[in-house]
Formats: sequence, structure tokens, C-alpha cells
Amino acid sequence: MTNLFSVLALVLVSLTTMLIAFYGLRLSRTTSDFYVASRTVRPWWNASAIGGEYLSAASFLGVAGLIVLSGQSGLWFPIGYTAGYLMLLLFVAAPLRRSQAYTIPDFAQIRFEDSIMLRKITTYLVVIICWLYIVPQMHGAALTLSIATGLPGWIGPLIVAAVVCLTVVSGGMRSVTFVQAFQYWFKLAALVIPTLFVLFQVLPEYSVPERAAAVAGQLKSISSMSLYETISIILALLFGTLGLPHVLVRFYTNPTGHAARTTTAIVLCLLSVFYLLPTTLGVLGILYTKDLSASNADATILLLPHSVFDGVLADLLTAVVVGGAFAAFLSTTSGLAVSLAGALSQEFFNGTVRGFRISTVLATAIPVVVALLTSSLALAGAIGNVFAFTASTICPLLLLGIWWRSLTARGAIAGMLAGAASCGLALLGSSMMPNNDSFWVLMLRQPAAWSVPLAFVVMILVSKKSPRKIPTNVDLVMALLHVPERSYK
Amino acid sequence: MSEPLGRFAQQRPQRVRVQAPQDASLDIPATRPEQSAENFYVRQLISSQLRLAVAVAAGLLIMLVGISAILVFWPVVSQIMLFNIPLPWWILGVGIYPLIIIAGLLYNRAATRNERRYRSISR
Repeated sequence: MTNLFSVLALVLVSLTTMLIAFYGLRLSRTTSDFYVASRTVRPWWNASAIGGEYLSAASFLGVAGLIVLSGQSGLWFPIGYTAGYLMLLLFVAAPLRRSQAYTIPDFAQIRFEDSIMLRKITTYLVVIICWLYIVPQMHGAALTLSIATGLPGWIGPLIVAAVVCLTVVSGGMRSVTFVQAFQYWFKLAALVIPTLFVLFQVLPEYSVPERAAAVAGQLKSISSMSLYETISIILALLFGTLGLPHVLVRFYTNPTGHAARTTTAIVLCLLSVFYLLPTTLGVLGILYTKDLSASNADATILLLPHSVFDGVLADLLTAVVVGGAFAAFLSTTSGLAVSLAGALSQEFFNGTVRGFRISTVLATAIPVVVALLTSSLALAGAIGNVFAFTASTICPLLLLGIWWRSLTARGAIAGMLAGAASCGLALLGSSMMPNNDSFWVLMLRQPAAWSVPLAFVVMILVSKKSPRKIPTNVDLVMALLHVPERSYK
Repeated sequence: MSEPLGRFAQQRPQRVRVQAPQDASLDIPATRPEQSAENFYVRQLISSQLRLAVAVAAGLLIMLVGISAILVFWPVVSQIMLFNIPLPWWILGVGIYPLIIIAGLLYNRAATRNERRYRSISR
């Protein structure tokens, strides 16, 4: 069945996104405008934009899907996504803003002037992470399109890539900030509306005590994850958020370190409010959506309206969800495309505006191809793996780089390579293993609990072995990172 | 020359030979005294900010890991019902978020206080 409303919602979201982007175009003129909106974005705008950018396919569709599949354990994912922001606030927000870097490779270079090697390795890791993160967005787009509209799935990734290319190429970061601030509130609304409709429809049923008592049984019937898995996921999400390239690029648009902290605190509130909705919808999905399996659990929110309502109302509510879902794919992908294009163009095109545009096309085209050639895992699980990877690579570089003056470039390189190799190989290996729950398979499937400490230990030990390599300007850089700005009273 | 013996021997400092550096590039530190005082204050600022951040992060980690352990080793909690939904669902789905926000706000206040203290003693 082709749902006309859903197609309309999709077109509307894409058009609005592009219109706001073109409005931003008039404001951006210099390279600095393109990259970081000239650092003049207010905390509320910036917080909405961060929320808009961060809430990806995994949050919008994946959280409810995971709650349907793994019950109570699925609730740890949104907690981790939010608590990760607290970690970012504690360790990274203000110093990173003061570092005056555009991208993570820039930070590596500011901290270790002499090491071209470190900068290159960081760039390649950022590129890998961005691509790994975009692919699930494309899978989400394909799933949404095929389930909600009946059109062939491959059109979804193409639409997302085209709109993202146009928005990013035309306006750069300035327009991306506007687009994403808008998209946070749009995504929130797109979940609030169906949640309220469904709740008002079904709540009267539970005035019957027997019906109400049955809920607990249904919720508890789903098997939950083991303690090791839970802890590993918590660690991956907490430390992985620190290293997400598209999230970090947002901090450069705050005027001061103090403003960066205010922004992050607002983000914590926005995320907490948002995640109540996919959680509620996940619970409703367990109770009402029939025939969900591992292959279509991510579509829970898309299928829920039709399980509760009939006819036009169900079509309309589905259309609202489709609009929100596409807003999620578009915002996250454009954020990733900006930081990916920033890294690529600085590395290969000397950071010109033209290079930035070429890089944007490269940044979105390659994940589309990968997404069309591979099949979708559980969205939130796939994103969880990316978090584990960033937690084992970029996160130790940032944490030790910001807080430990004895870190050396050699140590940073060794630690990141150790983390990347161990985490990457474990994830690859687990995808080839039979899907049983023996402890060793779990260790490979959720590597963060051991690969993150490993990366930190290697980084510290190798740095200790090369004390003469501590940069001579380390005191100046540390002062730059931590001393509050003059303008701040 | 006789071997030094007795308890004074341990107290006598090691003999150090003083000589001019072998290469010509004598490394005289360029820092003026006020600069090294500044450095000292910056290091104090960094370590007080780090202590604060680690304390909050440790609290968060202990809370999250603690809750997940309690749910595994003490499943009785799941028998408690609130509006017909098991208590763990309320804790994980709703209860933790306000704690995260409060931790963030408290941290912001303390970090700003540290910076203000630094501003008042440096300069």
C-alpha cells in the first residue's frame, strides 16, 4: 500500500530543510562561516541544534525497537546516550571550545604541533567513524521508506544523500545550525503527537484491573541482557559520546568555554525530555504491535499507529512519524557530512570552500553505496558499535590530551591504534561468529569494557616511555585549554 | 683517604661534580618569575577542575553500574509494581534522567566557581 500522506510528509520535510538552508546561505560568506558559523550561535540555538544533530535513526526508531527486542535492557541505550553528554560536559565541552580547533584532527595538531603522523591517523579515524555512523542512517531511511510508503527501499538513502549534499554545499555550518535547531523541535513533535493519540486511545482499557495486571507479565516476558553486556554498553555509550566528530564540531560554534557548558547543560534537558517518548512508544509497541521480529523491530514506531487506529487517522499519524524519522536521518547525516567534509578537505584540499564542497559529495556518496550493498542490523545496536569504536580511539586522545600534560604524540598514536585494532577486530570477528551467548562471544560482541581501558593503558605506558617527546609548548597549550576567557566575568 | 663509616656516612650527601655544559647551547629558561607563578596557578586550576570532573563521573559510573548489578543480583525489585509497571522500568525509563541533569547543573556551578577563584588570584 502506498501511503500518500507519508510521501507528502517526506517531501515536506526535505523541502523545508532545503529552504532553511538557502535562507542561511545569504549569511555565510567566508571559509570560517562555512565551518563553524563564525562562532556566534547562542546557547539555546546551539543546544537545539546539538539535540537535532545527535538524535539519529538510532534514537528515533532504534530505541523503541530495542525495547521491543530486549525489554528492560533496551532502556540502557537512551540512558547511555544522555549520560554520554554529561561526560562530554565534564571533560571536554569548555576546554575543546577554548582550543580554537575546527575538527578533532585540528585539536591533535594544536596539542602536538610537530606530529603530522598523529594528525593523519586522527583524520583517518574520524573519516571511518563518520562513515560507520552514516551507514545506519541510510539503512533507517531504506527501512522507513519501504515500510511506510511501499516504495522500493533504495530510494530512501538517495533522497537523504541528495538533500544533505544540497544543504551542506549551499550553506555550510551556518545553515546546518538553523536546520538542525529546527529539526530537534520537529522530531520532538513528531513523537509527541502519536504518543498522545495512542495513549488517549488505549488508557481507558486499563481501568479493568485484570487488563492492567497483565501488562507487567508482558513486559517481563522479554529476556534481558547479561550484566557484562549491560556494563560494556554503558561504558561504550558514556565514553563514545566524547569522541563523536559531528558532536564535537558543534562546540566550536559557542562563543566562549562558559557558553559551551551552558549549551551542554541545556542539551541534557532536551535529550532527557526526548527519550521519554521512544521509551513510552517502545512499551506501547510491546503491548500492541504484533508480529515484530529482529528484522523489523526498528519499524515499531512506524507500525504502531496502524495497530491501534484504522483508516485515515492511522495514515496521518504514520506520516507524522515518517516526517520525524526523515528529519532524524537528514540532521544526523548532514552533521556527519559537515565534519567528514571538514576533515577530508583540510587533509586533501587545503581547506578551501571548493574542496569542502567536493568532500561533501564524497562524504555522502560512499555511505549510500555501502548501505545499498549491506543489510541492516538493529539500528541502535549498530550505532552502539560505533560508540564502542570512538570510545576506544578518539576518546582517550581527547581525555588525556586535555587533562594530562605528559601525553606524547607517540603514546597517542600507539593508544589509538591499539584501541582501533582491538575494537575493530572484535566487532568484525563477532559478526562472523555463530550467534550464541557464551562469554567469549559476548566479549567480542561488546568489546568496550576491555578495549577502552586497553587504549588508555597503552597511551599512558607509551607516553611514559617517551618522556622527552612531551611538546615544549605544553604549558601554553594547557593554559589555552583551561584558562577562562577574558571577556567572561 | 679512609672509608667513611658510622651513622654520619648515611647522612652525608652524594658528591656531585659541577662542570660547564659540554655543548654551547646553554638552555637558560626564558620564563620570568611572574610567568612561572602564572603556570602554577594554571596547574592548580587544571587539577581542581579535573578532581571535580572525576568525582562527578565516578559518581555517575558507580550509580549506573550499581543499578545494573542490583537488577541482576536482586531481582525482587522487579516484583514491586507502580501503576502496574515493574519498578525497574520506572527507574531506567524515567528516574535516572533528572539525576543526570542535576549532576550537570551542579558541575557547571562548581566549575564556574573554580574559574572565578582562578581569576581572582591570577593577575
